[in-house]
Amino acid sequence: MERLTAVTVDFDTSHLLFPGIITVVLLLLGVMILIQERKRIAASGAYWQAIFTRMDKLRFFGTLAATLLYFCAMVPVGDIWPNTGLGFLICSVFYVFLVGMLFLHQRNRRSVIPVVLTALIAPTLVWWLFTELFYLTLP
Amino acid sequence: MKHFRKTLVAALSVATLLAQPLLVSAQELPRNVRLVIGSKSTGGDTYQNSAIVAEALAEKLGINIKVDAVGATAAFKALARDKRGTTLMIFHDQSYLGLLYGQKGYDNPFDTYKIGPTVAINPGNAYLVPKSSPYQSMDDILAAAESGERVRVAIQPGGVSEIGFSAMKNAARLRKAGSEDNIVAVNTGSQSDKNQAMWDGLADVINGSIQGNEQFTQLPEDDHKAMRFVWITARAATLEQAPEAGMGNTTRDDMLQYSSPKVSVAFDDSNDFTFDKEFFFLYNKEMDDAIVKQIDTALTEVFADGAIQERQKAAFFIPNFLPSDAARAHLVEKSDTYRDVISQITAQ
Amino acid sequence: MEFFDLISPLFVALVFAGTVVGIVFGAVPGMTATMAVAVCLPLTYSLGLANGLALLLGLYVGGISGGLVPAILLGIPGTPSSITTTLDGHPMSQRGEGETALRIGIIASLVGGLISLLILYLFAPTLADFAIRFSYVEKFLIILFALTVMAALSSNLLIGIFSGFLGIFISLIGTYDVSNGGNGEYRLIPPGTEYWLDSGFSLLPVLIGLFGLAAILEEAEVGVPEGQKADDIKHDQQRKFSLSIFKGQLTNLTRSSCIGTFVGILPGVGGSAASILAYSNAKTFSRHPERFGKGEPAGVMASESGNNGLTGGALVPLLSLGIPGDSTTALLIGAFTLQGIQVGPLFIGNNPSVWNAMIFAMLLANIFMFVVMYFAIRQVARIVTVPKQILFPVILMMCVIGAYTINYGIMFDVWTLLLFGLFGWLAIKLRLEIAPFIIGFILGPSAEVYFVKSLESFGDLSIFFTKSWIAVLLWVLIVASVTGSVLLSRRHARDNGAD
Repeated sequence: MERLTAVTVDFDTSHLLFPGIITVVLLLLGVMILIQERKRIAASGAYWQAIFTRMDKLRFFGTLAATLLYFCAMVPVGDIWPNTGLGFLICSVFYVFLVGMLFLHQRNRRSVIPVVLTALIAPTLVWWLFTELFYLTLP
Repeated sequence: MKHFRKTLVAALSVATLLAQPLLVSAQELPRNVRLVIGSKSTGGDTYQNSAIVAEALAEKLGINIKVDAVGATAAFKALARDKRGTTLMIFHDQSYLGLLYGQKGYDNPFDTYKIGPTVAINPGNAYLVPKSSPYQSMDDILAAAESGERVRVAIQPGGVSEIGFSAMKNAARLRKAGSEDNIVAVNTGSQSDKNQAMWDGLADVINGSIQGNEQFTQLPEDDHKAMRFVWITARAATLEQAPEAGMGNTTRDDMLQYSSPKVSVAFDDSNDFTFDKEFFFLYNKEMDDAIVKQIDTALTEVFADGAIQERQKAAFFIPNFLPSDAARAHLVEKSDTYRDVISQITAQ
Repeated sequence: MEFFDLISPLFVALVFAGTVVGIVFGAVPGMTATMAVAVCLPLTYSLGLANGLALLLGLYVGGISGGLVPAILLGIPGTPSSITTTLDGHPMSQRGEGETALRIGIIASLVGGLISLLILYLFAPTLADFAIRFSYVEKFLIILFALTVMAALSSNLLIGIFSGFLGIFISLIGTYDVSNGGNGEYRLIPPGTEYWLDSGFSLLPVLIGLFGLAAILEEAEVGVPEGQKADDIKHDQQRKFSLSIFKGQLTNLTRSSCIGTFVGILPGVGGSAASILAYSNAKTFSRHPERFGKGEPAGVMASESGNNGLTGGALVPLLSLGIPGDSTTALLIGAFTLQGIQVGPLFIGNNPSVWNAMIFAMLLANIFMFVVMYFAIRQVARIVTVPKQILFPVILMMCVIGAYTINYGIMFDVWTLLLFGLFGWLAIKLRLEIAPFIIGFILGPSAEVYFVKSLESFGDLSIFFTKSWIAVLLWVLIVASVTGSVLLSRRHARDNGAD
């Protein structure tokens, strides 16, 4: 007699079983949220508009852009001196400086100097620590 | 003042590095080499073996070699990206078995990469049964399959762990066509999963290793965890080079009792199936032949010195140096043999 | 060799050095105990077994403990096992009680470490025999139990659970990993992205993206306001710390330590589950579950004693079965094989002096961890007063190192960091809940393997209820935890409605 609870899992397709279950649950929950939160969803246009008007666009998108540039540059720069981690070091100096400047409120000599020093010292120190002492691979 | 000193030291070290020639000449290994391996574990056999070889090679050539345990697919990608010889790879038979078993992420290594020298063998691949098992030997297992009994074997599918299982099926087929269907795989993952499958009563036979399972074979029979070797897949010629004391309480002579010719898993009418897990270098397809030559020469000297063999044996590896050309020919032949085994049991 | 021959000033010095370096690794966002052990493993070859282990065990204990510092002060878990520490530790820090939270965390860590060590020393082989009675079914139920904490952590039950399932969904992207028992096939990968996504997203970059980068993006969005002033934390530093805060928490501490130890003992359940389970239990059994997640000291205690409980627990299967209990102890196997020592069921009996030396090293490491961290608190707590234009870029850079080195040099992991940083920022705006999301992400892959394998092996859904008394007990806990969360959420909704 077949039991109701019996299931057969075919190993060759077993990679789809669990993702299938999770997808179904997600969709169900999604629909429930749509119903429960319909008022808030309807008002989402204004919500996002408010976020973008209040946003410090220079700092937010500046940080994103700098990070993007940093990640893009690391590997090509590193490929000039393969397996030395210099790609990381050089790009990090610029990145730490750039983001530090971006986050500064008053850019005068007194406040810029610590940023510059950090940009020079911090990456160099960790670069030395990780490539020389701990012998890890950096780009 | 302290900051200033740090900056100065840093600046100096950067300057020295920059002073190195910008373009590394392509006929030689660069000063800093990255050796990626096909395993993600830095505690496993691939890493250990690669670390031994990397250290010896680096010392011989006066360069730096970093071993990075990035795993098979990431290692192949890294290798494909660089033809300057800045990235090398060490892996084992999985690199072609992955393809033979249709695993994702594996290309034909003989077409896609240059094959470098072989460096060592791990002779440990083994099959075990619970100590209380009615099966005393591989012969019992194959006979059981012949008589229609289902034998469940815990393996990690898709490579080194499966090849011995495929051989069992092939041997069963040779005894009596159709009986190979009675040898079924229990697909598990790591060694702990395979052991657990045995203890849960989900598997009658498990794939394991001399190194990982030997202590379980020393437990008393009334211990639920106790196991017994039934087959060690390495060639007798390989095992004979192992240290005489063997591993734990299992001596080399004991091991030979579990391997061909004492234990026979037939490959065809006249030969036994054997499998040695061999470690070898893989290079980018377009890497300069001068570098291939350089590594061959350096390793020939390293193995002629004899010190590396001691370290390998201490870690239970069998030294096995073949320069690239010989290694390639050997591995292609090996791969062809196993392709036959696999196609025999799948072609029906 | 006798035990006392193995113990030397060098041995003690190495434990100390290991603990300190471990704390640093643990405390830097993106660096983990596993990484600390990995980078120091090659050193142990020349040190010999006992001294090598002294160093590595120090790193292990230090690395697990150090994670609480950034979790509390910056809201960025230094290691995956301190995720639940951020939930209450960071709110405390924002209230200006960072130093108190640190003290609580460090004491809880010590308690967890010592209890688990005691359990390890007294019961290792017996517990290992018990642990192997956990088959796929029981392991799935343990994971399921840990997943119920998603509900407990949600401020809006529906959205929280949705976020958790989203985490599970994203964790499944990539290959059904063969080394966990999968079939090596791809799933959920958008066409054309197979080259990058074949191994899915790694935990650590996801974690530091969600907690590190996302938090900094949030700050950037509001224009990076000036941070806490030295005056803010002065108040906290002047207040006298008293152990009375632990009053009534003895059960919590003991229970959390034991949970942590036990999760460590189970191979393949994963280290991060330890603190998650401990936290969820503390909340379920607390008289004030509504305070959790808003700066409740008991939450920090549960989380930290849980993750340090792991340290002793994970060594149980390693030393009595030769099977590692978590990713860090997996590396310790390497240290043994480098020295030609087998680990397996005979290890303790064959090597009594090494075994004793290891216990001694763990004991020392726990004590050193406590002393070093306790006396560094005052200085460490000042990190929140470092100007953000200095602190943030450096944290970002450390996150990049962590992401890049976690899998030994994979650039995709760095991109994952950016992707999930952005996702984290968006998720906060969308009111998705990050804590359930990351817990789903961590536990998703194990939940899958154990669920699918249970059905594959036993072929019957009823097996989840009938496998053993352990399974039944786990169901009782699961039901209790879910009921607790639902009741709490109802009460919460009612209270809000009454306002």
